[in-house]
Amino acid sequence: MRDETGIGGRAGGFPSTRQSIVVAAGSNDAQERQQALDMLIAAYWKPVYKYIRLRWGKDNEQAKDLTQEFFTRLLEKEFLQSYDPGRGRLRTFVRVCLDRFLANSENAARRIKRGGELQLVSLDFETAEGELGHAELRSTENVEEFFAKEWTRSLFSNALERLRKECEERGKQVHFRLLELYDVEEGGKDLTYDEVARQLGLKSTDVTNYLAYSRREFRRILLELLRETTANEEEFRREARTLLGLDVS
Amino acid sequence: MNKVWLGLLIGGALGVVDGLTAWFYPAVRSQLLGIVIGSTIKGLIAGVLIGYFARKVKSLALGIIFGLGVGLLLAYAVAAMPDPSGKHYYFEIMIPGGIVGMIVGYATQRFGTGVLQTR
Amino acid sequence: MKWLDDNALERLRAAAELPDLGGTRYQVLGRLGHGGMGSVYRVADGVLGREVALKVIAFPDRDGGFADRLVREARILAQLEHPGIVPVHDAGTLPDGRVFYTMKLVNGQRIDEHVQRLAALNEKLRLFQRICEPVAFAHAHGVLHRDLKPQNIMVGPFGEVLVMDWGLSKVIADDALAIPNADSASPGESTTGHGAVLGTPGYMSPEQARGEAATLDRRSDIFSLGAILKGLLDDVEVPIPRRLRAIASKCLESDRTQRYNSVEELAQDIANYLDGLQVKAHPEGPVARLGRWMVKNQAWLLLILAYLVMRTLFIVWKNR
Repeated sequence: MRDETGIGGRAGGFPSTRQSIVVAAGSNDAQERQQALDMLIAAYWKPVYKYIRLRWGKDNEQAKDLTQEFFTRLLEKEFLQSYDPGRGRLRTFVRVCLDRFLANSENAARRIKRGGELQLVSLDFETAEGELGHAELRSTENVEEFFAKEWTRSLFSNALERLRKECEERGKQVHFRLLELYDVEEGGKDLTYDEVARQLGLKSTDVTNYLAYSRREFRRILLELLRETTANEEEFRREARTLLGLDVS
Repeated sequence: MNKVWLGLLIGGALGVVDGLTAWFYPAVRSQLLGIVIGSTIKGLIAGVLIGYFARKVKSLALGIIFGLGVGLLLAYAVAAMPDPSGKHYYFEIMIPGGIVGMIVGYATQRFGTGVLQTR
Repeated sequence: MKWLDDNALERLRAAAELPDLGGTRYQVLGRLGHGGMGSVYRVADGVLGREVALKVIAFPDRDGGFADRLVREARILAQLEHPGIVPVHDAGTLPDGRVFYTMKLVNGQRIDEHVQRLAALNEKLRLFQRICEPVAFAHAHGVLHRDLKPQNIMVGPFGEVLVMDWGLSKVIADDALAIPNADSASPGESTTGHGAVLGTPGYMSPEQARGEAATLDRRSDIFSLGAILKGLLDDVEVPIPRRLRAIASKCLESDRTQRYNSVEELAQDIANYLDGLQVKAHPEGPVARLGRWMVKNQAWLLLILAYLVMRTLFIVWKNR
């Protein structure tokens, strides 16, 4: 298991034949399985952790354990195989499984972890805990919305991180910085291209072009990630449309 | 047609009608012709004045009030003249006269062409 | 990894959604709005040196000919020169594969926002008359809109009414007829058995909702106008006179033979209503007509009545 909370690069890559992540998770090929699981975990672990903390009120140690156990259970018990895309989104399914899992774990005694399960200790729970400081789950808030929001947040963060890496690899750190300035940090829309050009020692036209580049790449990566973490083509297109108003054919 | 002519026309017509109603008073029926002529002239004068006012002042409310005033005044002048038997008919002449003035005022404010209008 | 707060998330999302205009003559300046069919952006046209509105359509271009069909429709529209019709300047496909078109950048407000400032019923009706004008004009030239709704109507700084998104619905409908089993639509749009996006519920005529796109005629637009009129009337506090309600109802008849035959007829009825005359939608018996005439001329009637009353009183009194 990689020691990275993000999806560290596309080494090995997800098969471009757009195999369902669900199918791949049940594949006989261990590497395929591993990759699919990595994708799933990377996309969902933070929302799951936060959900357990806020919605179920567990403390951070408990939540950490439960998160790990949940994913173990999810994959071991092949719950994913019972997922029917026609009945709803993958992430709704995951949340529902989570709720059920948590309800059961209240009742049943803690079982001893068996060997061979996934080690998720490398996930950065501290950061996730820190982020919780920013979030609140008001009692009336829709849990589905909360989970979806966190899932989206994870998705975008992962995409941003992947973009940062790629830009570094290609020597385009400036491009990435521009995206951060305009679209991530506060006050982006008050910046003129001229000001920023001066600050970074660029031409004004460069600012426009580089920004367009990083935005374009960001969208590409975002869609890639989305594709990797949705169950099938149909769901991917639906999510793409909802998220970005894009129709991707 | 312009407001002055309009006032003249309506004032005169109403004057005739108003004068004719004297027929319902047996006491003065014999003087009907004189009454009608007098009433008509009163109406014409009132019509001109009110129409002229309407050309100068564009206000429905003021036009009606002015018409009332002129109607009452002219009617008073007529009522002040006693009939052959020495009787005065203040109320009977002035009040309807005032109302007629109001009608002319309303008409001239709403219709007819004013000073700067082109229709 | 940096934590993205809600605002940052939204900014990134909007950034990802921005049309990629690299290689085109346009440059994105900002986003104007977001609708069911796609988003509208303010862009700079590098060739002509002006700002235009660019609409990116979320509708899929499966066979690649969507943009071409849009251009063809735009050409037809370009023949119509009316101040109330916002024509399409340009259409094409973006580098990222989405279809777009550009049109005049309208400085103004959407009509449903604008009417909130109008208090009087009659003002709203006069505004409605101004909506009818470009539609009547287009109909006279054989062009239907097919998707009239408040989101497509703007009011400019001088009170001028501008109707936009002409022809879009037609191209989509033609597309749908040619290619069945379209993908699922986004929320807010309705679909038929063909799965095609046809219009907006509430403003769409019944025949349109049934998918009879090929047989639509002017009366379908009249239905939409009726829905718009009804929307204008709904916000009014005073009770709506029966004659006016009848006008709206006549537009909204499910059987299109019962509706107005032309927008001119509709506009004439509105004018008649405003003048206190009889309205085609609400034929009245002589008694009702008399009643209305009396209300209309009440000032006269009161004065004359006053005169008669005084006269009669005096006569009676004197002759006691």
